[in-house]
Amino acid sequence: MSTKSVLGEVREVQLAIQLIHLGARLQFLEAEVGLSRERLIRLYKEIKGVSPPKGLLPFSTDWYMTWLANIHSSMFYNMYQFMKTHSDEEKVWVLIKSYKLYLQQIEAQESEPILDFTRAYTMVRFFDSDMLQLSTCCRCAGQFVAHAHDHKSGYVCVLCRPPSRAGKARGSKRAAGGEISVPGMESIGLAVEAALDGGGLH
Amino acid sequence: MNVANGEISREIGDINLAYMLLAQKLVKQDRVAAMFRLGVSRELADMLANMSLAQIVKLAASNFLLCSFRLDEHASMSAVVGEGKDTMLQQAHMSILMSARNLQGQKEAATV
Ligand SMILES: [Zn+2]
Repeated sequence: MSTKSVLGEVREVQLAIQLIHLGARLQFLEAEVGLSRERLIRLYKEIKGVSPPKGLLPFSTDWYMTWLANIHSSMFYNMYQFMKTHSDEEKVWVLIKSYKLYLQQIEAQESEPILDFTRAYTMVRFFDSDMLQLSTCCRCAGQFVAHAHDHKSGYVCVLCRPPSRAGKARGSKRAAGGEISVPGMESIGLAVEAALDGGGLH
Repeated sequence: MNVANGEISREIGDINLAYMLLAQKLVKQDRVAAMFRLGVSRELADMLANMSLAQIVKLAASNFLLCSFRLDEHASMSAVVGEGKDTMLQQAHMSILMSARNLQGQKEAATV
């Protein structure tokens, strides 16, 4: 996409600034912002003081199923869905807005964000390409991120049935806690290996 | 009306006023975010934004609380409050349940 008008370009720069502040990777900037790669890199350096990191982490949908990650992902995706339904803005701005809302929520809870912006963005793509779905918990009626095509009946969410060890480990503020795969969580969905490049990022 | 009742009415009025003023502030700051936090429809949010202080004060002086429980099902309520859950998990659970709620005022608007 190329933008001819000055105002259009200002909008693109503003978008890029927002995305860089939130920690978006260069690949995503290129996909979402109609500016040249060179300009994006210059902007990135100016804002962050360093060059954008190279390479893209290979994400799989499994990350979103681990205990704390699932809680945070579900929180974010519910917010995103709300924003998407009720705001008139472009999709990328909806994403930015809901991610900021997520950060505010986390701040209010005095905990650490587990879902970074890149993961949030990737999750939205996974939903768009039908690799993830929301499953409704039969106990609390909340909607939680799950692998697509999982059987939906009798689903109990990670908050209504936390794994036994989770209650203790999570008290501390270690963000790393989110990376730990809690035994017993595999039952939530079959482990679908889903690398980003296979998943219709565009 | 006895003294205790007058006291309660005043407390309700205070809460109503604080609630309405906060709601209006939120809507004026960011409509969609306010809709999310308050659980109200766009129509209701717009109405709130446009209310004058006089209108708000008049509406607040009531015997009825203007805000109501949003965890309106026993199941959700007990799931969130349940057995000594820690604050962070409780907040997260609340956030997930609230986001999916139907917005106040939306149903009425849709059926008219
Ligand atoms: Zn549940």
